Amino acid sequence: MKAATDKNSLFDAKIRAEIDHWIAKYPPDWKQGACMAALRIVQDANGGWLSNELMDDVASYLDMPPIAVYEVATFYSMYELKPVGKHKVCVCTNVSCMLNGCDRIVEHLEGRLGIKFGEVTEDGRFSLKEVECLGACGGAPMLQIGNKYYENLTPDLVDSILDGLE
Amino acid sequence: MNTLVNYVRSLFLVELFRGMGVTGRYLFRGKFTLEYPEERAPQSPRFRGLHAQRRYPNGEERCIACKLCEATCPALAITIEAAPREDGQRRTTRYDIDLFKCIFCGFCEESCPVDAIVESRIYEYHFENREDAVMTKSKLLELGEKYEAQLAADRAVQAAYR
Amino acid sequence: MSDKKVTIEVDGRKLEATAGQMLIEVTDAAGIEVPRFCYHKKLSIAANCRMCLVEVEKAPKPLPACATPVMDGMVVKTRSPLAIQAQQGTMEFLLINHPLDCPICDQGGECELQDVAIGYGDDASRYVEVKRVVKDEDIGPLIETEMTRCIHCTRCVRFGAEIAGIRELGATGRGEHMRIGTYVGTTVTSEMSGNVIDLCPVGALTAKPSRYQARAWELTQTNAIAPHDSVGSNVHLHLRRGQVMRAVPADNEAINETWISDRDRFAYQGLSAGDRATQPLVKENGGWRPIEWSDALALAVEKLRDARAEANALAAPHATLEELFLLRKLMAGLDAPSLDYRLRQADFRATSAVPGYGLSIADIERLDAALLVGSNLRKDLPIINHRLRKAALNGGDVMVLNPVDYEFNYPLGGALITSPSNMVASLAGIARAVGVSADGAIGELIDGAAENDETNRLAARLTAADKAWVAVGALAEAHPDYAVLQAIASAIAEASGAVFGFLPMASNSVGAALVGCVPSDGGLDAVQQLSQPGKTSILLDIEPAQDCLNPAQAMRTLDETAFVIAISSFASDSLKACADLILPMAAFAETSGTFINGEGVWQRFDGCVRPLGEARPGWKILRVLGTMLELDGFDYESPAQVHDEVRAMIGDRGIDNSLDDPGDVEPWRPKGMQRIGDVPIYRIDALTRRATALQQTGEPVSALACINAALAKRLRIADRGQVKVGQGGKSVVMAVRVSERVPNDTVWCPAAVDGSELLGPQIGDITLEKA
Repeated sequence: MKAATDKNSLFDAKIRAEIDHWIAKYPPDWKQGACMAALRIVQDANGGWLSNELMDDVASYLDMPPIAVYEVATFYSMYELKPVGKHKVCVCTNVSCMLNGCDRIVEHLEGRLGIKFGEVTEDGRFSLKEVECLGACGGAPMLQIGNKYYENLTPDLVDSILDGLE
Repeated sequence: MNTLVNYVRSLFLVELFRGMGVTGRYLFRGKFTLEYPEERAPQSPRFRGLHAQRRYPNGEERCIACKLCEATCPALAITIEAAPREDGQRRTTRYDIDLFKCIFCGFCEESCPVDAIVESRIYEYHFENREDAVMTKSKLLELGEKYEAQLAADRAVQAAYR
Repeated sequence: MSDKKVTIEVDGRKLEATAGQMLIEVTDAAGIEVPRFCYHKKLSIAANCRMCLVEVEKAPKPLPACATPVMDGMVVKTRSPLAIQAQQGTMEFLLINHPLDCPICDQGGECELQDVAIGYGDDASRYVEVKRVVKDEDIGPLIETEMTRCIHCTRCVRFGAEIAGIRELGATGRGEHMRIGTYVGTTVTSEMSGNVIDLCPVGALTAKPSRYQARAWELTQTNAIAPHDSVGSNVHLHLRRGQVMRAVPADNEAINETWISDRDRFAYQGLSAGDRATQPLVKENGGWRPIEWSDALALAVEKLRDARAEANALAAPHATLEELFLLRKLMAGLDAPSLDYRLRQADFRATSAVPGYGLSIADIERLDAALLVGSNLRKDLPIINHRLRKAALNGGDVMVLNPVDYEFNYPLGGALITSPSNMVASLAGIARAVGVSADGAIGELIDGAAENDETNRLAARLTAADKAWVAVGALAEAHPDYAVLQAIASAIAEASGAVFGFLPMASNSVGAALVGCVPSDGGLDAVQQLSQPGKTSILLDIEPAQDCLNPAQAMRTLDETAFVIAISSFASDSLKACADLILPMAAFAETSGTFINGEGVWQRFDGCVRPLGEARPGWKILRVLGTMLELDGFDYESPAQVHDEVRAMIGDRGIDNSLDDPGDVEPWRPKGMQRIGDVPIYRIDALTRRATALQQTGEPVSALACINAALAKRLRIADRGQVKVGQGGKSVVMAVRVSERVPNDTVWCPAAVDGSELLGPQIGDITLEKA
């Protein structure tokens, strides 16, 4: 038996304010419109990934059935449902990057970090993710770390990028 | 004219000699009869004898209780009860073939999607009690285990036509 | 939707249609077959299976018939080369990932995918790659999943969102990784969840209790009426070798549409329970001995002759109309006035002659407002709740006055949650706000009532509504002031222009009232019969430990009664404890009869299974008892004769919700804590209580006390601990839960569950202490 949850007990005040900002953009009975934004906000605050409990909280906060939130979170590949490293290295393996030798980049990354796609390094600093086209075909091969794109990659360049990260 | 020909034929016993000729010809040919049980007739790999249930090489019974044989049996000789086995798999809890009803048409074998129920080459058997005429699951599996080599070989030979 | 008529042409036939209708509705009505998986007439349109593609002239591509509105002059071809090619292409795609495991699939033989693949698919697939595999979730004891077979039609997802009202299943992931499930692996809890088994066009969702036990082609279908609630849902029973294998809904737009509750679907399991009564039993020196029918009947007759006018009789309200009629005739023949069917009613000061809904089931969904007094409608009558849900989603206000904040699967227009003893005052408050002017004691009570914001709001909504309904439910029936609650509710209905009605629980409550299974002059009602031991009592299909308002007292009284004749389908331990003679009676599906549902609709059904062992249909047992007692008019040869006589006796009488004045209104005042003893959804009757799958769903089955945090703190009781619950001198140790759904100083302690048989009345004083 589930009683109504007190919404003020969910998340901290800052996150609530951010989500409320998004809720305000939609009509009052269409709160679920803010679902994607809320998931992103919560994911960012949780070290880049969403636990089932956090998704349940988002559901209660937006008065949605939990399964509807799971549907959204599993549909979009930028929501992470398992813990990720501090730096999420997203490598594009789509056509343009493939033609320009992303395989070499991937091989180099896997060798250097000692992990495969979908895994996290033991120290928790890096995780590796295969992504589809990020719209930077002009600079293929490319990868994304955080909010930043790195283009025209070579193995040496990858090393210097990784060395440059904390 | 016809009357005359018939008269001549019956007078000279033409039909008799012709018949004797056939007898005489076969008198010197090889024998068709067999000295059963010392001698046996050859059997086709499609021979439809007593039923058996086969197992997979790993020992797992093949029958999955789909009940197609029960549905297809024109003599209504097959009775199946099914239930989930302990590991959740679909299995029969009862599989009976009443040999008094069975007409050995082979439809059960033909309908079986997993080659579980088969008809073996066994045709010599007897019952001492009426109940014995019901081939239960355990009896069928026992036969299947005993003659698996032969059964598998026969199915292999026929593979192209099935 | 406008009513403008348009004419379209389908496969050369001119068809009349209403503008705005979807093409598939028109072809369905005309009997033109269009294959489909995702389309269902009762669900929203998804158009995601693409199986119903047809050629429409002037359209560049084939269009899905389920999502194409008709237009005047449209020319449609369902079997043109283009349509066939589109359908074959769709089928080939659908089969890409569908496993070829039809031989082990329970849906095999009644599978829409099989049928459509044969009818509309191509002979061979060009796909040779490996098929995908989906890991299964366990979604509860009722539904078996095999999600590898799923074709993503999303009927089950839409059912959850639109009909069941709780979205539990969803489509997570995308593309090839999309799967239907709960994602977190929880149990599906909807009380109507079984309907997804029928909706699923493939074998992804199948019935767990009947798993692997029968093939579609082995089953014979018969019609029946579900005996578990007063809705009287139409069902088909599927039989195999004289055994009920499953129950599925039969379409009846006026009653259950195409749905049935899980209770109606799975309760058949109780038919094969181990404690079915299969031969007459007599108690001798404390033990039970099987006897011949003739001896058993002779013994019963002897004891009834001894008692004559002093004989008592109690009948279950789910007995058939014929049985109830014959019992009444038997009692009348003995000049015995003590007969009753209202086993859970606490207050007999005044009551309606024939309590029923007061309006048709189909009208419920057109209501603008409804006030439920003491009802957990969602669990009590799932189909009525479904109708009311439609009204609520259409903007209607469903309001409740309940002692527990029950969960509803739609937003309520208002809820007054208050302790049982306070319900009268709260209802009077609503009455005052509505502006009821009544005389006498009720009038005084209303005038003295306090109004507050909530009562005013409820009253305003009720008065403002065009079509409103005030319905008194099962919990009110168990209330010590039932007569007062009824009187006030009826006055509210009158003053606000609403229809007044009841929510009778059992399949034949209305029938029992119509044949007059109530005490005649000087007779004892159910409470009186079960509080003073008599000479000889007849119990018709009753388990006293579960089916009565006050089980502890009922058991004690029956034990002290000189001779108890139990005509029953089950010989349970509790029945054996208090009965002296058990006459085995045919159960549901084994006997023919008639039920009159809460709306007043007569529904006849035939027996389709042989009674177990030596059990005999109830009407035959009562008929023979009547003959052996040398009473007049018991020489029936068939149930049809009994039915005709009942029909003639009842004539065109129907539901009659008019009330007498209760007179005395001195309200019940609790001494301390109060018990709220509702009957959980799967403890409603003997059959349901024995349905093993339903008992595992997580609904209450054993004794449980729910209290709120304030009370728990005061008594220093921890959540999920043990407490000692006492009522009428006896106490039971049971589990405790802390829930804010329960008001102050009340203990929500369900009745009819294991362990509750030692307790007292469903609503009454209760004590609670740390165990």
